[in-house]
Amino acid sequence: MTAPATRSPAVPTAPAHRFTVNGRPVEVAAPGGRRLLDVLRLDLGLTGAKEGCGEGECGACSVLIDGAVVDACLVPVCQVEGREVRTVEGLATDDRLDPLQAAFLATGGVQCGICTPGMLMAGRAFVDTLAPGAAPTDAAIREAISGNLCRCTGYGRIVEAIRLAAEGAADGGAESVHAAVAAAAPAGADLPTAAPGAPDGSAVPVGRAGLLDLDDPPAITPRTLGEAYAFLAGGGWRPLAGGTDALVERAAGIPDPRGYLDLAALAELRAVRLEDGALVLGAATTYAALRREPLVAVHAPVLAEMAAQVGAAQIQGRGTLGGNLATASPAGDSLPVLLALDAEIVVGSARGERAIPAAAFFPSYRRTALAPDELILRVRVPLAPGRTVAFRKVGTRRAQAISVVVLAVAWRWGADAARGTWRDVRVALGSVAPTPIRARATEAALEGAPPTAEVAAVAAATLAAEIAPIDDVRSTAEYRRVVAGRILHRVVRDAGGW
Amino acid sequence: MSGLIGTSVPRRDALAKVTGAARYAEDLVVEGAWFGLTVRSTEARARLLGIDRDPAFDWSRAVVVTAADIPGENVVHLIEDDQPALVADEIRHHAEAVVLVAAPDPATARAARAAIRLRTEPLAPVLDLLAAEAAFARYEIAKGDLGAGFAEADLIVEGAYRVGHQEHVYIEPQAMVAVPEADGGITVTGSLQCPYYVHAALARALALDPARVRVVQAETGGGFGGKEEYPSMLACHAALLARAAGRPVRMTYDRHEDIAATTKRHPAVVRHRTGVTSDGRLVAQDIEVIMDAGAYATLSPVVLSRGALHATGPYRCPNVRVRARAVRTNTPPNGAFRGFGAPQTELAAEVHLARIAEALEVPAAELRRRLAYREGDVTATGQVLRHSVAAIDVLERAEEASDFVAERARTARARESRLLDAARAGTGSRGLHPGAERIASGVGLALGWHGAGFTGSGEKALASRAAIELAGDGRIRVLTAQTEIGQGAATVLPQIAADVLGVPAESVEPAPLDTALIPNSGPTVASRTTMVVGGLVADAARDLRAQVEARAGGPFVDNYRQDALTHGPTRVDARFEGYPGIEWDQEHYRGDAYPAYSWAAAVAFVDVDLDSGQVAVQRVVAVDEVGRVVNPLLAAGQVEGGTLQAVGYATIEEMGVVDGRYRNDRLATYLVPTALDAPAIEAHLLEVPFPDAPHGAKGLGELPMDVGAPAVIDAIHDATGAWVTELPATPARVLAAIRALEEDRHGEPVDEGVP
Repeated sequence: MTAPATRSPAVPTAPAHRFTVNGRPVEVAAPGGRRLLDVLRLDLGLTGAKEGCGEGECGACSVLIDGAVVDACLVPVCQVEGREVRTVEGLATDDRLDPLQAAFLATGGVQCGICTPGMLMAGRAFVDTLAPGAAPTDAAIREAISGNLCRCTGYGRIVEAIRLAAEGAADGGAESVHAAVAAAAPAGADLPTAAPGAPDGSAVPVGRAGLLDLDDPPAITPRTLGEAYAFLAGGGWRPLAGGTDALVERAAGIPDPRGYLDLAALAELRAVRLEDGALVLGAATTYAALRREPLVAVHAPVLAEMAAQVGAAQIQGRGTLGGNLATASPAGDSLPVLLALDAEIVVGSARGERAIPAAAFFPSYRRTALAPDELILRVRVPLAPGRTVAFRKVGTRRAQAISVVVLAVAWRWGADAARGTWRDVRVALGSVAPTPIRARATEAALEGAPPTAEVAAVAAATLAAEIAPIDDVRSTAEYRRVVAGRILHRVVRDAGGW
Repeated sequence: MSGLIGTSVPRRDALAKVTGAARYAEDLVVEGAWFGLTVRSTEARARLLGIDRDPAFDWSRAVVVTAADIPGENVVHLIEDDQPALVADEIRHHAEAVVLVAAPDPATARAARAAIRLRTEPLAPVLDLLAAEAAFARYEIAKGDLGAGFAEADLIVEGAYRVGHQEHVYIEPQAMVAVPEADGGITVTGSLQCPYYVHAALARALALDPARVRVVQAETGGGFGGKEEYPSMLACHAALLARAAGRPVRMTYDRHEDIAATTKRHPAVVRHRTGVTSDGRLVAQDIEVIMDAGAYATLSPVVLSRGALHATGPYRCPNVRVRARAVRTNTPPNGAFRGFGAPQTELAAEVHLARIAEALEVPAAELRRRLAYREGDVTATGQVLRHSVAAIDVLERAEEASDFVAERARTARARESRLLDAARAGTGSRGLHPGAERIASGVGLALGWHGAGFTGSGEKALASRAAIELAGDGRIRVLTAQTEIGQGAATVLPQIAADVLGVPAESVEPAPLDTALIPNSGPTVASRTTMVVGGLVADAARDLRAQVEARAGGPFVDNYRQDALTHGPTRVDARFEGYPGIEWDQEHYRGDAYPAYSWAAAVAFVDVDLDSGQVAVQRVVAVDEVGRVVNPLLAAGQVEGGTLQAVGYATIEEMGVVDGRYRNDRLATYLVPTALDAPAIEAHLLEVPFPDAPHGAKGLGELPMDVGAPAVIDAIHDATGAWVTELPATPARVLAAIRALEEDRHGEPVDEGVP
């Protein structure tokens, strides 16, 4: 689609993007919204990264950006500017295999091979970021590749290969990589040939230009908040942080004529700090940042616990709190947690800043309290010493799962005469109503009460009556109603110790 | 023989795959290729009244193909001629192909697709397999006297089991490139399992001399049966567009279209009524199998056949009736998927047998040991199992390797203590008194069998041909139509030849999968590649070796290069002639259903979350007996991958259907196991060689798919006391089963016993 006339200011349709691929500088002229996957495969002829789903579910297109694993189908090329991209083609050097590649050969980690390039890159990120002296446990490796689907191997031999490489037990050896490339010519020698694969960025490889998508949206990368506000006020731009919702919607064919307002250059959106009795998280704080940020671990560890259960490495590294808020899905994992923490959402525009309580941020299904010209700037989580927060996500699988029910319960223990009772109770849920909700009647049933079996039963029954889940592609209304009660019951029971 | 059989010769295609050099269909550069898309039906059933093109679109920028433009017959050639390449009059399922468009780039092609409107008149669809009356196939297998058997029974156990669709989720979606040739012929390169199926379909739909049709397999990113028949459809589409455009056309489905339009594993209902004596003999098995074929026959008659033939489970019973039908509904056609009808019926057979054991109050493993086939036993079709029967072997090895008896005792103790706790805590509201332990562990076992190769006289009818060639330059190639789809065919077939020739494995190459070069050795399906085609390759290699050694007067390995220089190329073709003593009566479903059977047992360890019903499969011990194991590493890989597909089938892979449309039509909603969901899988391979194959191998690829799911269901029962009789055992189904038990127990005395 072409840009609407209202978009301002005019941007070049195919600006030059400069970055490095496997250590070599490249320059690609493309709309900023073109997927990195298309840039690699079509503009640069590097077809190692594969497209299995186009929406960040399978990981076949995994590559590294500055060492972090990403799904190349969810990264617009504007966000690769100035960065280092590594692909499977760059693993073997000087005709010598990467130890990880050698380990995949040795253990039998390769079958049909379509997931292999992505697996190798996820494995490479794991090996490269393993703390010195840390053991590459089976569980850690499985988590590291849980964003990469394999349908052939059952995963065991892949896990084993990564472990061997991480332990330094695999040797690259001098396998003839050139021979591999030659052997990969398709069946009939006179048939369609391989892409040239030279990442010099000079031109679209012959024969592949016809695959480029003329609908790639433009992108603009403001350097200051003021610039960003001006673009937003002008209309025609969709704020884009990690792209894990925006590019998925595009893959699903949901029409959106807007260009991408790339927030990557706004460092203030990534800041995490303590300020005025609150933990302040920039809107572009990623799930990965929540998991490793010391201030979060101290003041709101539930956020790290929640973040660990979102997607997998590729999504956690790109998805942001602000994006989760802006999408306002009833299934957004962070949203019930923010509700339970009494968080405030600080938004800004050329007109100034304002703070919106989380409980007032989701007026209706997939709507937010944002005005069209407003940008989510940060989330303020008031510090509440003595607060306990329990989090429970029920999904259909253990990674890459959109929640079926998500529950966050916060309380503090009463003092003195009120000892043993719950105070300031917050019960918040996702996926049980058109928006993330606070379950106020359930909160009332628990407020001031001790966590006994009787109270648990009443609270669970109250909750089941209070929520309004639906049947959808992920589960049934009946199941959600029942399981919400049961997991709340368990939270109360665990707190009561009975 | 050079002793290569039984060694883990390195996979030939692995180096290209780890370096990113391997070229899949979407990686190929095709000069000037246009981009093709499909206009699909949005109704389950309708009359197609017309196809309107929006005049606002500039149609000079695209080509359009409808049924009227098909030069040959409008059928996708397979078993029946019922499925059109493009709808001509009646739309019979959602997402059915009606119109094709191609344009120089994806955006223009999308715009063209959006500018086409289908004018339709809705017709009443049939969506429920139990309500469907029309059937593509019906079979009845009968043995003994069912009435007499039930009369002898002390106990009659009934059960009904239901399974849903399963999607293959090969990670590479369907993709095809068609290139029109100057002579009016067509060359198609793509992701596919069966080049000669595609070849036949193209010749027919395009009305081409078969000699002008050429089919080439690109590197293929997984198949599992999903690229058995569907590529014929896609190849026809790409070829039709290429002829219309007068230039190459590429068609690659995105994941959404791939799930919405391509085949799935057949949903099924299987009902068992079994007569049992109190001393634990089966005296009557009355089994009804109903499979939902979807809107067209595709491979359903043979899928149903295999399902029916495996429906009894591998158990002795003198009186049997199996009635099976594959019904027609207005849902997308179902087709081949690893196991091919057997996983559905073996799930039912195994869960039912465990319930019989429960009714008899004997351990199921003990009952299996008593009833499982041994050499000399007679199957429901009257086949005498003369050789390589390994049911007891796999059963005992699985029990041993999993420490099954001790594990079962441990889970029984835990279950009792949970029940006591639940009774003590039973002060909550009705239906909400989970115990102190949130996680319940269980261990379950299943036994299975899988006939290798085509059913009955199928292999004989195929008359597969394979060849080996010593080229003039001394290179040795095996020529077969067996595709490498991840399972290792490109490594194993040359390995078998090298073993016979007495040369190193790397001295023999697979010929390119190009119908211009290769003979038709039959499709890459039915666990037949290593057993049947491997046997042909061994025969051909033996002949080649003899010829060269006769000329040279010395060993092949020392003389073949010189022989090639002196005498020029030597090619030996071998043709399949049938296994000795195999007789099959298709009309009455009597006789030797398969030349040989492979055997499997699986033990699954699960943790069930009693709050949510979520099932975590922690460990599976998989024991598979497959005749001689040609390549242990590749064989273990097959067992492990097949086991995980079975675990997914058992637990999370749910395909909802709403008004005939797949509801879970994206990878965000159709979930397959990630590395975190996958159990630790321990594969044990047993070998009881098949005496009628030169290398002793039996089938392998599908076998693990038959036993994983019933083992998981048995383990869920062990953990919770609840039988889940419908796959997948989603958290919702498991929780409903747990709650039903909780309700039953509410207020009952603690010592009431474990159900």
